[in-house]
Amino acid sequence: MIRRTIPTWLFIGLAIVGVLVLLVSYEFLSQRQTRINPKQTTIPSFEKLGEGVKRMFAKQGTEENPKPPMFWVDMRATLWRLFVGLGVGVLASVVVGVMMGAYRWIEAPLSPIVMFLSKIPPTGMMPIYFAIAGTDQKMFTSMVALGIFFSMAQSIYQAVRDNVTDEAINKAYTLGASESEVIYEVIWKQILPNVIDCIRAQIGPAMIFLIAAEMVVSDAGLGYQIRMQSRVLNMNIVFVYLLVLGIIGVVAEYSLLWIRRRVCPWFNGV
Amino acid sequence: MKMFFPSHWRSAFLASLCAVTSIAAISGCGGSKPTAGPAGSTAGGNAQGSSGANPTSKPATFSLAWSEYPSWSIFGVADEVGLINGKEGEMGSIEKKYNVDIKLILATYDSCITLYGNSQADAVCITNIDILGAAGSRNSVGIMPTSTSAGADACIVAGINTLEELAGKPTRGLEKSVSQYCFERCLEKLGKNPADYPFSQMDPEQAALAFQGKNEGIQSIMVWNPFVMQSIRSRSDSKVLFSSESIPEEIIDMVVMGKDSLSKPGGEAFAKAVVETFYLMNQRMADPKTSDQTLVGIGARFAKLELDDMKTIVKQTKFFGDPADAVRLFADERFQKETMPLVSKFCVKYGLTPKPVELSYGDGKGFMDFSTKYVSGYLESQKK
Repeated sequence: MIRRTIPTWLFIGLAIVGVLVLLVSYEFLSQRQTRINPKQTTIPSFEKLGEGVKRMFAKQGTEENPKPPMFWVDMRATLWRLFVGLGVGVLASVVVGVMMGAYRWIEAPLSPIVMFLSKIPPTGMMPIYFAIAGTDQKMFTSMVALGIFFSMAQSIYQAVRDNVTDEAINKAYTLGASESEVIYEVIWKQILPNVIDCIRAQIGPAMIFLIAAEMVVSDAGLGYQIRMQSRVLNMNIVFVYLLVLGIIGVVAEYSLLWIRRRVCPWFNGV
Repeated sequence: MKMFFPSHWRSAFLASLCAVTSIAAISGCGGSKPTAGPAGSTAGGNAQGSSGANPTSKPATFSLAWSEYPSWSIFGVADEVGLINGKEGEMGSIEKKYNVDIKLILATYDSCITLYGNSQADAVCITNIDILGAAGSRNSVGIMPTSTSAGADACIVAGINTLEELAGKPTRGLEKSVSQYCFERCLEKLGKNPADYPFSQMDPEQAALAFQGKNEGIQSIMVWNPFVMQSIRSRSDSKVLFSSESIPEEIIDMVVMGKDSLSKPGGEAFAKAVVETFYLMNQRMADPKTSDQTLVGIGARFAKLELDDMKTIVKQTKFFGDPADAVRLFADERFQKETMPLVSKFCVKYGLTPKPVELSYGDGKGFMDFSTKYVSGYLESQKK
């Protein structure tokens, strides 16, 4: 029957089986590939992946001029870019989205533009970003921020329109609230959980834009290293980096859920 | 209040994590020795069993990964003029002659390397620098040099006039690759220490685009043609600071094939067909009747380049249009004793290969063999 509950032990057991099947078939594929070409690096064995991890954390540079292991250099570069890009993008889209939801005369000129631009894939606009935003932090920030801005502004504007009732606004006015108080106390507080959910939904796309940009221009970062290592055919490092990307996604997802639960305990979510 | 995810999920996650760790530990200790078994075929070459050698049977398909570059775009033009048909299952005149199906895969230069190294292509257009990295994971045979860069790889600057001014400023280009090799070797030849000249990664096409767009962060780029020519043409304040002209016959553009693919039925026929295609196209370029048309054909692939530019480009990329010249190169003492050891050193320095790749010249012993067999074979057949 659809949606029939299963016992917890069975659920856990099946989860383990799923992961085991994945790992065993990976090992099988790896061994099969090794039989075809003993020098293959395409599907590295677990042993090779271990070597990859070692190289990621190995000391770089010379003794007089030591450099941190490449993994930390890349992580720091990527996470910082992601953080700044998301920060700017979220801030801008919250301001614009709330304003659009609050004032019809802001909504009117912006909504067609925001709606249209949210449909253009930001990765396609990369050459334009390079030409106008340089190649350093500014480019990554604008890439990520503009990449998520339009669709996020669109959703926040929708959230304001759908979730904030006229009654709530009128009540606040009746109780003597000023316009800024209505925006902060009524609108903002009502849509905060939607904003957090929006960020959750946008982390994936933000990572896509960032990794794509790093693959094209960068001398550090997860995207840079994935492209570089795949060109020099160190797939054992590429695979571990992909795993790390997955972990970043999972951690970000659950931390935001945790924050939402703490900040908006009243919200029942979708 | 609602839990943000069910508690049994959390336990399931932890349990799976344990499973991951234990499996990794087990396979790490046990090692993964390959067991003997029948060798399957790689994804790239759908060789049709033993029937490939039989001219009446369905021909085997072999793939060639290539990127836009003067001496490689020739294959794209050969497809346009019908000598070969790059689509799988369709045959041009040369393919019919050798009864082999050539599948052309057009990709960016570094994607070609990845495709080839991971056995997704049977052959690849690559330089003698980057092939050493690939040969580390796939035994390879260089079947033919196509050209040598004599100015086709260049450091283009704007707002910088001398080598001294370039010091400390980043140059953008493909890192740990032919571009960086050329950059360092030219600086050495010009009496500078490459360590004073930072080189940072950027896709050559994007670097050229950003340079042409007068992007403030990009004053110096190290790219190859057609990007060199495009950049010079579209920005009047730019100039070539140095180029591969200073290191003649060090950067060799070539076609390389996996030993595994070469030994498949039809593999040798494919190598011969590729060689013949290249020389027939060169004849078209040399023939006054078809020369301009062929050059324009190559130039159209690059876009925005006219006949005069293409004539310059062909000069900067010295084609091994004469098979005898190609044979000479691979047998050349300087190539074997000086150039390749230098390249090998570069590859180890930048971690493209952990240790120098074993090279050989025609006897097939090395992991990377520079073979003149197919070009000589073509030369013989022409004499007859």
